[in-house]
Amino acid sequence: MELQDTYYNKSEYVETASGNKVSRQTVLCGSQNIVLHGKVIVQSDAIIRGDLANVKTGRFCIISKGSVIRPPFKKFSKGVAFFPLQMGDHVFVGENTVVNAAVVGSYVYIGKNVVIGRRCVLKDCCMIEDNSVLAAETVVPSFARFSGSPARLVTNLPEAMPDLMTEFTKSYYQHFLPTTVN
Amino acid sequence: MAYLTQPDYVKYVCSCGQLKPITSLYFCRHCLKIRCGFCICHEVDSHHCANCLENMPSSEARLKKNRCSSCFDCPSCFHTLSTRATMAAQRQAQDPAGGDAKVENKQTKKMYYLSCFNCRWTSRDVGIPDQSVASGGWPERTNPFLSRYNQLLDYYKAIAQQEKQEKLERERKKFAIRGKYITLTDKTGLTGAMARNIAGLPTSESGSSAAIASFTPSQASAEVDELPDDVYTKDVNLKQITSMSQRLASPEWQPSSVSRLHPLAKLLSIKRSQRCRVCDHNLTKPEYNPGSIKFKIELLAYYHVPEVKIISYETVKPGEKSALLLKLTNPTGHEMQIQLMQPEDLPPVEEREEPKSIEKSLEKSLNLEKDTSSYRAIERVAELGSSSRVTAPEATLTLAQRDDAAEYDDDAQQDTSDFILWRKSNKLALRLEVTTDAAATPGAPARAALALQYSYRNTVPPAPAAPQQAHHTLYTTLLLDLGVVSG
Amino acid sequence: MSHNIKILPGATVCEDCTLEGDITIGGGTVIHPRVTIIAEGGPIIIAEYCIIEEYSTIIHKKSDNQEVPPKPLFIGAHNVFEVGCRLESPCGHIGESNVFECRSFVGVDVKVGSGCVIGASCNLTAPQTLADNTVIWGSEHHIREALEKQPSQLLQLDFLSKVMPNYHRLRKPNVHKRPPSARQSQESSPRP
Repeated sequence: MELQDTYYNKSEYVETASGNKVSRQTVLCGSQNIVLHGKVIVQSDAIIRGDLANVKTGRFCIISKGSVIRPPFKKFSKGVAFFPLQMGDHVFVGENTVVNAAVVGSYVYIGKNVVIGRRCVLKDCCMIEDNSVLAAETVVPSFARFSGSPARLVTNLPEAMPDLMTEFTKSYYQHFLPTTVN
Repeated sequence: MAYLTQPDYVKYVCSCGQLKPITSLYFCRHCLKIRCGFCICHEVDSHHCANCLENMPSSEARLKKNRCSSCFDCPSCFHTLSTRATMAAQRQAQDPAGGDAKVENKQTKKMYYLSCFNCRWTSRDVGIPDQSVASGGWPERTNPFLSRYNQLLDYYKAIAQQEKQEKLERERKKFAIRGKYITLTDKTGLTGAMARNIAGLPTSESGSSAAIASFTPSQASAEVDELPDDVYTKDVNLKQITSMSQRLASPEWQPSSVSRLHPLAKLLSIKRSQRCRVCDHNLTKPEYNPGSIKFKIELLAYYHVPEVKIISYETVKPGEKSALLLKLTNPTGHEMQIQLMQPEDLPPVEEREEPKSIEKSLEKSLNLEKDTSSYRAIERVAELGSSSRVTAPEATLTLAQRDDAAEYDDDAQQDTSDFILWRKSNKLALRLEVTTDAAATPGAPARAALALQYSYRNTVPPAPAAPQQAHHTLYTTLLLDLGVVSG
Repeated sequence: MSHNIKILPGATVCEDCTLEGDITIGGGTVIHPRVTIIAEGGPIIIAEYCIIEEYSTIIHKKSDNQEVPPKPLFIGAHNVFEVGCRLESPCGHIGESNVFECRSFVGVDVKVGSGCVIGASCNLTAPQTLADNTVIWGSEHHIREALEKQPSQLLQLDFLSKVMPNYHRLRKPNVHKRPPSARQSQESSPRP
């Protein structure tokens, strides 16, 4: 089935020159450390913790309502370091999802109510189903579909995953429209 | 993407009769047929560890029982273990559960242990001594039944070899009698020993027969140890006893107590290439690098077959007509002519796919490259139990080629035709009518079958011997899921 | 509802949180933005060196058979409440060095000892007492007993208390306004 239009209140969202659509009801801590690479949608009540470390997303990422993007920390003998969090292009993060990953590749679909544990590495082209929990330091290989708590490989994804994700995020962006043009 | 998060509303019929969404289908450019995972050959290209992405040659992988040498899974929850470092300055207290652990500590030194971030299991829990190097060096346990296991392995290998040889002998005799042409062996004076050598078999039979002769079969015994007296009376502490899955994860030891759980070496993953069974051409071939998501060959139906998506549909009622909006997409780089048809109007499939010509199979059986008998294709006809019919317009639709720059163009053009809703570069939306059978039972799933005739430009460079035509007219059948028949 | 929020010196409390009722926040504790702490059924006392991350909710729920004056909900030192966790307790006692992982839920009538880990997305609703060093994980709520206590997060707290003031508006410690009685309840808190 085709994606239906999602409408948003025009006054609630800020659209940048590079096409990012960011809700005013978000918490972007340390915004100087957050790079959204264009055509990224950040929906209301999302939190991006740029104060802890740099957060970089690629193009066409969707960060849904109530999700938390949080750079992970690692303890060393001399102290704690927060790692920068990198996200590739065409990544979808579902509602109320917590992302503590170190790296999220491109063409990644993360469902809603998911917990991505600290320093997880999500390779390109993978999918985490709704309500899953990835324990800390999990490596999700390419073309893997993970599900459950703790999440495990359930099946493989089709080879056309990069194109499917590209189409999905692009059409999501195109269908994300202001309610009224006043 | 809708394919991953939604049920499959549109299913295509594979040439083997399976119904699958377009994303899990392949398209063989040489046979010009749709193939699916059930009717193609899957081959292992390379082994690698999904955790550390280290490639392993297949011979080494076999030697290591398809397990990674540096990554481990938690024996308690099967999550990947992480290596953690501690500064070990003093002798740490040896935990009482640990039994045979040797605590070896020098001065202040970085020591490593394995820890699970999911269930907080650590290698210290079972008394495995900390290691001084970050990876490797973990104690390997030997299978208590290793010698017997090897004995069995040798025995069955010998038997397999013997049977193979017998079969080879039989085949050779058969051909020798029947053949009226000079075979390769006659012409070149190739001896049996040399033929065996080419086929990769050992030169003499003495080794295998020795293994068979010296083998002692196991004896059944009636003597079994008595159960301990307190087996029914002792309190069970579930935290101390392993679960079934924990035991079966290490079948050689099957520990019954948590204190005997040991890290499990991580199983390797593979890169897989897929091959058309009929013409032996590759359908997919991934790049060698384990981290890469690219393919050298990627003949997916998604890139070659027109894609049909449901935009929306009216509720299907028995005996009534309802509207259906479809979107057609041309994924290829060439203009495509599409005509909608009824599935029963399709021309019959021309020829049964003959897997191999006689000469070819003879060749194959001689050098034992492949045993064709093991995979005979099961032909089946897809059950298109559809209660609804899609009224197909007579007109031929022309779809422009895929153009990545077109997305920056302006919005959709309105078409004059009465059933074309809009056109947008290589996409087309259609308004169609669905007629439902009056006898359709309410509550039953509503399905409508539809056939497509489409033109396809073959871009395979033609073989020098047989000049191939570049333009083809191909057919495909698909099944649309329109919810349930309403009452 | 009385708003009597006491923040001891050394605590880092973001302004962007909902704090309602009688709440005491111990020194060294870090409270991230968008945290909800509601003390409707009685005071909540959070001891030193806790980390409470975004979207965590701690509620001291009102209950019918409440004692008068209501017993405080005491949360021991070195507890970590990860993103989106929820703790509802009428008069519970939370020990030390526990980790409430992301999106976990601890309902009423759950007594949590020390050194416990409540795994991500685990829901504890039935009345129960978690012994020390219990680890709960997975969708089937497997229970393990850890050998040692969870390591303390002092290094992380160090970092957070240094970095957070650069980026967030913080609530000022108001220790001097604190009546002496509150301090006593803080110090006489049970310590096993």
